[in-house]
Amino acid sequence: MITLSYPIAGGDFDSAGFATRKLKEQLAKVGVDASALRRAMIAAYEAEMNVVIHARVGTLWARLDETKLDLEVADEGPGIPDVELAMREGWSTAPDRARQMGFGAGLGLPNIRKASDLFQIETRVGRGTRIRSTILFDGGARAAVEIAAAPALLRIEAQRCRGCMRCIRACPAGALRIHNGRPVLLQHLCIGCATCIDECADGVFGLPENGAPRAVPKGAILIIPRGLVTGFPGFPQPESVVSALRELGFEKVMFLEEWEEALCAEGRKEAADDTLPLPRIPPLCPPLVALIESRFPSLIPHLSPFLSPAESAGEEFPLRPVFLVAACPGQYSACAESSLTERLTVLAPAALTGAVRNLKGLLRPASRSLLGGSSSVVAARSGELAAGGARAVMRVLGRAETGALGGIDLLDLHFCAGGCSASPLVTREPEIAGLRHAAVPRGAGAGAAGAVRRTRPYVQRPGLRLDPDMAQAMRKLALIDSTVRLLPGRDCGSCGAPSCAALAEDVVAGRAHRKACPFLTETER
Amino acid sequence: MKIADLARAIEANLIVPVGRSDPQIHRVFGSRAMSDLIANAAADTLLITSLNNSQLIRVAELMDVPGICLVDGMEPAADLVDLAASTGTALLLSRADLISTCARAAECVLAEKAARG
Repeated sequence: MITLSYPIAGGDFDSAGFATRKLKEQLAKVGVDASALRRAMIAAYEAEMNVVIHARVGTLWARLDETKLDLEVADEGPGIPDVELAMREGWSTAPDRARQMGFGAGLGLPNIRKASDLFQIETRVGRGTRIRSTILFDGGARAAVEIAAAPALLRIEAQRCRGCMRCIRACPAGALRIHNGRPVLLQHLCIGCATCIDECADGVFGLPENGAPRAVPKGAILIIPRGLVTGFPGFPQPESVVSALRELGFEKVMFLEEWEEALCAEGRKEAADDTLPLPRIPPLCPPLVALIESRFPSLIPHLSPFLSPAESAGEEFPLRPVFLVAACPGQYSACAESSLTERLTVLAPAALTGAVRNLKGLLRPASRSLLGGSSSVVAARSGELAAGGARAVMRVLGRAETGALGGIDLLDLHFCAGGCSASPLVTREPEIAGLRHAAVPRGAGAGAAGAVRRTRPYVQRPGLRLDPDMAQAMRKLALIDSTVRLLPGRDCGSCGAPSCAALAEDVVAGRAHRKACPFLTETER
Repeated sequence: MKIADLARAIEANLIVPVGRSDPQIHRVFGSRAMSDLIANAAADTLLITSLNNSQLIRVAELMDVPGICLVDGMEPAADLVDLAASTGTALLLSRADLISTCARAAECVLAEKAARG
């Protein structure tokens, strides 16, 4: 796999098209097939011209492997106020100068979409726009493309496991098993929440370890859950934690919660629109989206069509180096997979807390008044239901699915009770940290955050489907049913599956043998 | 049909001669919009346009277009001629307008196809 990048200068019509031409020279060396090359040139040229015509500065990235070409063109520019309108043929805001040259016919974005097998556009008014286009080399595979969600990046240190089974019962997606005393993750079921991390006393689960950022580039922006500055043992002043983080080389430290607020504001606007199904569910956390896409597909129309706060934050500064601290595996993978570029670095909270601890001199213990500070618990607005924690989220979604939440316009749901700041990766004492949130100064860019509309639709995840073929799936369902009847129904977990039903499914899927159940008689086995 | 033959047939001046590759033209496409041109450009297609700037050659280069025909008898932009010569893109100039040039060129290409059977 190779990644190439070419700068694009906004307003420079003389060298417009150079980035695409240089890309073509490289693609020709690899021998990309003619049809794919053609489509790549259309997509890259149109995207490059958009930067030249509308933006100040931009970059074209291309990532190439044997099966496909991924293009990404990001710019710092005015952004697009209404993407839907901009995607319409004939709509253009190009200035006269560009129109005189034959641009501005309003066909650029539609051309890119037609040329692409997968197309995505992220934009923020006043900030910039980012376009992703994927071109598959085998044209025949085009119809079969499914927009596969990135697998959650959960790190498992199996040798630490004592086999206590707490995680398999706690996992809301039923994605964990203990086989031969070691945890096994069913990747296709995992939704990327932090429940297993919270539940495990032995530190088996975590985020990928990438250590503290060694060199922070100039102008870098750090985005963290607010809880990261209040969750330190010894309770140093939040201000001193922020200044310690700046000491590491970050120009600006911002809080993820700003984008949460922006997203909720959009959700409230939607709630006022009576053409949309209520309650609205802002996608406050990526695991929540994954859960709805797999377990509660009937609620997909209730999800607000915006990126999650962490993903929106990553889009906020298209061409600046952004470091984002992820609070759970779902957030980590959503952000890490969102771009071809190295502009966005996703960190585990531990990477930063370690680095800050090394700057001990900067940290002073907090004053008493701060510790006993006013409570930050915000009463829910009327018509809004707030719930946190895996169990509560499952319960509320179950109710919403049956339509039993009349009078509720907005669901404020977080997989971690208390939000990202209370994730077990951020703090082990969420209640105490939460009490102190109110005392934390707002980020320098307070009010700057905005929610980014998503262009990739929500899709029902096939993870739960037993077989791609429906007839086969029905046969398997019948087989599972008869296997469940055979099992004792104690849901004891001795077999390593969270329930008898889960074991039955594992048996039919070939992941386990029914003799794993200690209660079956010899003949039943 | 070769570009030089097509130029003669539609009474267009060949300002920049055909480059190293001199393919058969099977198709002509005309438009005033750059996005139309790039979306319909191909290695066997002559592009016909009322536009007159160097981006035409950039598009030709990206899409392996062998020739571009300007219309309305307009003086080609200076950098356009230089760029066409250096990239081996043939440059034609028709005195007729866009629509009539397209119609005539298409007629010629189709007639030649029919003659070949």
